[in-house]
Amino acid sequence: MIPDSNYVHPEVVVSTEWVASHVNDPSIRIIESNEDILLYDTGHVPGAVHIDWRRDLQDQLVRDYIQPTDFASLCSRYGITPETTCVFYGDKSNWWSCYALWVFRLFGHTNVKIMNGGRDLWIAEARPLTREVIKFSPSNYPVPAKRLDKEVRAFFEDALKQSQQHLPLVDVRSPGEFSGEVTHMPDYPQEGVLRGGHIPGAHGVPWKRAVNEDGTFKSAAELRAIYQEELVLKPSDDVIAYCRIGERSSHTWFVLTYLLGFDNVRNYDGSWTEWGNRVGAPIERA
Amino acid sequence: MSYPKKLADIIALMEGLPEIERREMLVAYADQAKNQEPREGEVFDFEDFRKDEECTDSVGIYLKTDQEGRCHFRVKLGPQVQTLTRAMSSILCKGLDGLVLEELQAVPQDFVPKIVGAELVRIRSHTVYYLLTRMKTAAAVWKKRQARG
Repeated sequence: MIPDSNYVHPEVVVSTEWVASHVNDPSIRIIESNEDILLYDTGHVPGAVHIDWRRDLQDQLVRDYIQPTDFASLCSRYGITPETTCVFYGDKSNWWSCYALWVFRLFGHTNVKIMNGGRDLWIAEARPLTREVIKFSPSNYPVPAKRLDKEVRAFFEDALKQSQQHLPLVDVRSPGEFSGEVTHMPDYPQEGVLRGGHIPGAHGVPWKRAVNEDGTFKSAAELRAIYQEELVLKPSDDVIAYCRIGERSSHTWFVLTYLLGFDNVRNYDGSWTEWGNRVGAPIERA
Repeated sequence: MSYPKKLADIIALMEGLPEIERREMLVAYADQAKNQEPREGEVFDFEDFRKDEECTDSVGIYLKTDQEGRCHFRVKLGPQVQTLTRAMSSILCKGLDGLVLEELQAVPQDFVPKIVGAELVRIRSHTVYYLLTRMKTAAAVWKKRQARG
């Protein structure tokens, strides 16, 4: 499917066909990131490397992301330079690939794209998979000066302030999670949350509303109808998106930032597993 | 606690592997998951195919017992089930094959990280534990039905 050229930044969404024609392009690095941790090993887009969201992107002790030196090492290992175009794809309609892309943005790597429809569409189109893992010559990725925590990431205090000031918060979880009826998403185990509900004042807009049945992003017009007409958000608004651990909200962060061109969207990665466990955090139930 | 012989052999094999080879072995087991599905014409003493709330997709447990009361399992998994769970279904069908009910119920869950490796056991991959529970439950229910005649 050809991505909608009416997106504000159409260049960040590429089709499976585009990826297929760039698998040997040295200026491109194709990156698979999944929830199913062994899925890459069962077969992947030729030339793709694997980024494990927990092992590669998160600190292994503290609940936080890796440091700039770790990010530079990760990129260097895969031969990525600041000029490399990183094309992300994965399972679950690109949740984790959007998450990985968002972490790349945390470190200032802006040359990023998402393969529309992700892994499932690639397979549905009977495109080739391989188990061959290509070793790229290591690069020397410069250590980013800092992690851009203030620019694209929100913390508990930011979300609390947003709620108190009645600024836009978008809760992208399922309706049952938003209402407080359940504390885990359908088909998933409980991930250790003590209270159900949502941040007071948040809009409940499940991430899934932004995609078609085949996992591709909806058209610009359809997305505008959801976020700008129904929610009455403006591209100049300061918006915070959240879910349970920040992966589904990365997807919405991507939609708002790139497809609709919102200037100030932050992903609250602490999300409900922080808020729902935090002593004294205000909760609303619908 | 000692493990049943066949399961112990798999544990010993997996524990001795470096991470990369362990992953390859798990993928090989996952590839074999289809072979553990019920075959056409097979008759079982107990069948339990369902989708539970905490699982991504359906899991079917099929139990056949022989004259000595030994359990033989087949497992059918829905397409959305994760690779690690597919691997575990193959491992459990092989590793628990031929156990009597009491032996099956005595198998502890602590072998899972030994096979899978701590690196791969995560909250969202806990279905690997769920499979063993479903197999034990299937055998227990079958036994109860037998007792009732």
